[in-house]
Amino acid sequence: MGPRTGLDGRTPFWTAAVRVFDLSLGEMLWSRRTILLLLLVGAPVVLAIAIRLLQAFGLPGMQVQGVRVAGPDLFGVIIWVLFIRFVVPVLGVFYGTALIADEVDDRTITYLFTRPIPRGAVLVGKYLAYLACTALITLPAVAVVYFVIVPPGGSIAATFPKLVVDLGLIAAGLAVYGSLFAFIGAWLNRPLIVGLVFAFGWEPIVMAVPGYLRHLTIAYYLQALVPQAMPQDSTVSLLQSLFRDLPTPATSLVSLAVIGVGFLILAARVVSSREYVLEP
Amino acid sequence: MSTTAAAPAAVIQTERLSKWYGQVIGLNDVTVAVPPGVTGLLGPNGAGKSTFLKLITGQLRPSQGTVRVLGEPIWNRPALFRRIGFCPEQDAFYDRMTGLDWVAALLRLNGLDEPASREAAARALEVVQLTDAAGRKIGGYSKGMRQRLKLAQAIAHDPELLVLDEPLSGLDPIARRHAIRLIRDWGRNGRSLIVSSHVLHEVEMMTSDILLINNGRILAEGNVHQIRDLIDEHPHTVHIRADQPRGLARLLLAADDVLSLKFGDGSVTVETAKPDVFYGRLTALAASGEAGPIHEVTSPDDNLQAVFRYLVK
Repeated sequence: MGPRTGLDGRTPFWTAAVRVFDLSLGEMLWSRRTILLLLLVGAPVVLAIAIRLLQAFGLPGMQVQGVRVAGPDLFGVIIWVLFIRFVVPVLGVFYGTALIADEVDDRTITYLFTRPIPRGAVLVGKYLAYLACTALITLPAVAVVYFVIVPPGGSIAATFPKLVVDLGLIAAGLAVYGSLFAFIGAWLNRPLIVGLVFAFGWEPIVMAVPGYLRHLTIAYYLQALVPQAMPQDSTVSLLQSLFRDLPTPATSLVSLAVIGVGFLILAARVVSSREYVLEP
Repeated sequence: MSTTAAAPAAVIQTERLSKWYGQVIGLNDVTVAVPPGVTGLLGPNGAGKSTFLKLITGQLRPSQGTVRVLGEPIWNRPALFRRIGFCPEQDAFYDRMTGLDWVAALLRLNGLDEPASREAAARALEVVQLTDAAGRKIGGYSKGMRQRLKLAQAIAHDPELLVLDEPLSGLDPIARRHAIRLIRDWGRNGRSLIVSSHVLHEVEMMTSDILLINNGRILAEGNVHQIRDLIDEHPHTVHIRADQPRGLARLLLAADDVLSLKFGDGSVTVETAKPDVFYGRLTALAASGEAGPIHEVTSPDDNLQAVFRYLVK
């Protein structure tokens, strides 16, 4: 069978992206970065097991202001605080900014850029590999945490739909953060610092301050989709709730889609027009 | 009525081509037309060879001027890479993949389906004599095998134009001879090839048409023999990495083409006044195995530097 090409002689964009995905997924799964990924997603699992063991040995469960936190609520806190506000942005920063940078540092980008494929397809293929790689490890970890944490105080049958929403939320977070950081990685020479400042400087500060600026974060749109109610027992959280102006789920979904797709298109355009000078 | 044969269209054409890296000039105002066939790009390290090759393979955008390859501008024209094969200088791979998987994966980027890509990859690996190692991980390949693997991925899709950046670097004498034959045959089959090297002797064995480059400028174009006499005035240095450097040295000293010898750690550096004769003898010695395995032959660019110093005086 002859080569599959478009009218202009190029391999079609999505065919090329899928083939770059094939080429990159194995490399990504077996990279040193995967150790970081395992450590990150392993920590909440270890924490959940520790809490469950403490409960099994008759120690009191987690309490906030003297009120015992039920399994489903605790799971909600872990999802929001550990996964969505920490693990997902960290993975987005470390993988997203490295999509092209790794190939440049390893000097293997030459082999991809001297093939009859649009350069943007290289970025998209590697982005898809990032999504698959991180989702393959993160989502099962979330499921494990759920089954460890929820049963003592809650019904699996009643809370399972929330788990499905949580899994979708984390996948959406990985997709949107990954897309933003892929753009930063393609555009800037020192993307990691900028990415970390955004995820752990800009977002937490702006999210804590009332006003329009929080619209310029990804966390703002993700927060509106969290199915579990956050504990409201402290004064700080009570104050925060007064200023909370969460968008509707529909607005959040549309906004996340626009941010994700928009930055991915921008990243692909940057990669197409930028030249990468390899160090000798 | 008179008829004149039209000159063959240039496969690579540059017009006032320059490339700057910040304040550093990589290539300076180069206007050149590379004819079909095999052309050697000869220059010392840092002369601008790699910059020139990266510009003609669309990896770099010209700071000034134009580049046309196979009649079309190359920057941001990925479709052209169906007709071009590129073997880069850098020793960089996906080390966890096998040689066959890697070449096949790159061929799939050319639009070939899985069976066709594996078939073409296997053929290319056979051409570079890597069939036996095709199923092994690239991380376990020797430097020479990695060099041949790069060559395989460049030729696997049977391109019209092959661009090779220092393809003989790190090859043992036998593999070197094989690669030179492959390059010559490529040209004889009516296809085009541009090959860079800092070793005149290597280029001379592949082609007589050269572009001489130094300090980012093309100093001369034409027949290699014109500068051959110049280089013969300068001793030629060859660095050989072998299992038995002293035994090898003893055999090499048996002829009068060796001027001096210097031993290193598992290596011997030879100065010769007759590179042709010397390389011939070295290849024969490697093939016979008389002096044990010879792993790598490299030639520092001192030889060419001397000629360039002479040329730019």
